Amino acid sequence: MSDIADNFPHLLGEWLKGTGPESDVVVSTRVRFARNIQGFPFTGRGDATQREAVLTMVNSALRRVHLDRSVVSLQLDKLEGIARDVLVERHLISRELASGEGPRGVTYGRGEMLSIMVNEEDHLRLQWIKAGFDPERAWKALCKVDRALEKVLPYAFSERYGYLTACPTNVGTGMRVSVMVHLPALTLKEHIEKVYNAAKRMNHAVRGLYGEGTRAYGDMYQISNQATLGRTEEDILESVGRIVPKILEYERQTRAQLYTEDRGLLEDKVMRALALLRNARRLNVQEMMSQLSMLRLGIDMGVVSDITLRTVNELFLLGQPSHLMRKEGRTLNAAERDELRARMVRSMLAHGEN
Amino acid sequence: MDCQCCNRKKATVRICDLEDNSIAEQHNVCADCFALVKRYLFDMARPLAATADIVREVQSLLNADQTALALPENPGALAPIASNVPVCPECGMTLADFKARGRFGCPRDYEVFAEHLDPLFERIHDVQPPRHKGRTPDALEGRDVIVARTRQLAQLRERLEAAVREENFELAARLRDEINELQGKDITRA
Repeated sequence: MSDIADNFPHLLGEWLKGTGPESDVVVSTRVRFARNIQGFPFTGRGDATQREAVLTMVNSALRRVHLDRSVVSLQLDKLEGIARDVLVERHLISRELASGEGPRGVTYGRGEMLSIMVNEEDHLRLQWIKAGFDPERAWKALCKVDRALEKVLPYAFSERYGYLTACPTNVGTGMRVSVMVHLPALTLKEHIEKVYNAAKRMNHAVRGLYGEGTRAYGDMYQISNQATLGRTEEDILESVGRIVPKILEYERQTRAQLYTEDRGLLEDKVMRALALLRNARRLNVQEMMSQLSMLRLGIDMGVVSDITLRTVNELFLLGQPSHLMRKEGRTLNAAERDELRARMVRSMLAHGEN
Repeated sequence: MDCQCCNRKKATVRICDLEDNSIAEQHNVCADCFALVKRYLFDMARPLAATADIVREVQSLLNADQTALALPENPGALAPIASNVPVCPECGMTLADFKARGRFGCPRDYEVFAEHLDPLFERIHDVQPPRHKGRTPDALEGRDVIVARTRQLAQLRERLEAAVREENFELAARLRDEINELQGKDITRA
């Protein structure tokens, strides 16, 4: 575990700042490209030798394009499970890559905005995350990396189908824009179903970021484009830019409605959440996330003024199980984690902080 | 002499591993066992192994009574090939395989299964016709070299299959080494 602790900057990812456009509702915007190298089977069908060859090729290409001095490359099959889970919690790699097998890696940097996964379902998954709602700039930043790489890596590409990917849902542009949004008012008023359906009609998917099925702990959701073929990259940005603001507007209206019609209820929920977070001796991760969600709402509605969005965003991450274990430098059982989490939350939300 | 693989039948084939043009090691096997051994020797999907290792692997198959699994339906061929179903020559993926898994095996599959893909892509991406409209990669440094290499590899693989079918193993071994060498090149430096 020490290897990853050494490699990790103590600073948190740039996108956790709690700033950026529409940061009252939007936590971050991520753009990702799926790319593959011609002449090799896709990861799922490649053997260890072929995966190794892909990893070597990509790493040597990454060195050639001189990304930045800040980038870190890790070979995941040589890391411990906890270290991989920390990367998952930081959104630097996917759960699939963490639990996969064989030679695979990640290169990340630029304040953790950039991440390049190697030998995920596709040979390369490039992503750029920005704070707030900022698809255009995330896309432009990622394009630069992609263009540098395509000069030295023979991407699998066809005139007819575009960038060729292992799964037919990614073919064409290979581009997915995912916007992480906080929708506490819509969840509270049980309007989420409507959001799901409206997004689906417009070819976008909404899913809970934490938890399984329809449960979304912390009221965090991810909105992303579904179609990648038959559209230009600008078309995709345009449709995300059209649909997401509608959802944001809906959330804001519902928050305003809560404020005018149910102010007592809103204040009670927020202040109870704060009291619980400031006093609990054991907090499990679900409880922490749902109370932080109320607190985040309270900050935006002006009910709470001595805590910043950044602190809430950080707690969402630092309170995750693997981050706690990494901080302690050892494996912890559930009760130990809950106590440690409660202690950390108390100290970060202590009166007079910020 | 008895077959070194099954120890039952008479050995009729001698396999020699050459090092600097002299025989480093040799194995004598019967015709049946050789049919198994040659699948390993010329299977490009596997890493190149010494004959001794292959013989050992075949022996363990025989001990486990798994010969039926190891024997191809068509003894000369490297992969089961039926003329009416599209099979990718690069990764061996069949259309049925792709439909069952929902994932392609390699980029070449898009070409091999082209006539079956449009309805699927129209449905997934809600677009007609399902054609790429996004950006195209800029010219690759040394793209010609890579295109030539891909074409050359495909030709070599075809010749390898033919050589094995015709039992021209000397040629097959040479082709196999050529393919390995070409594949192993770090083409980012090409």
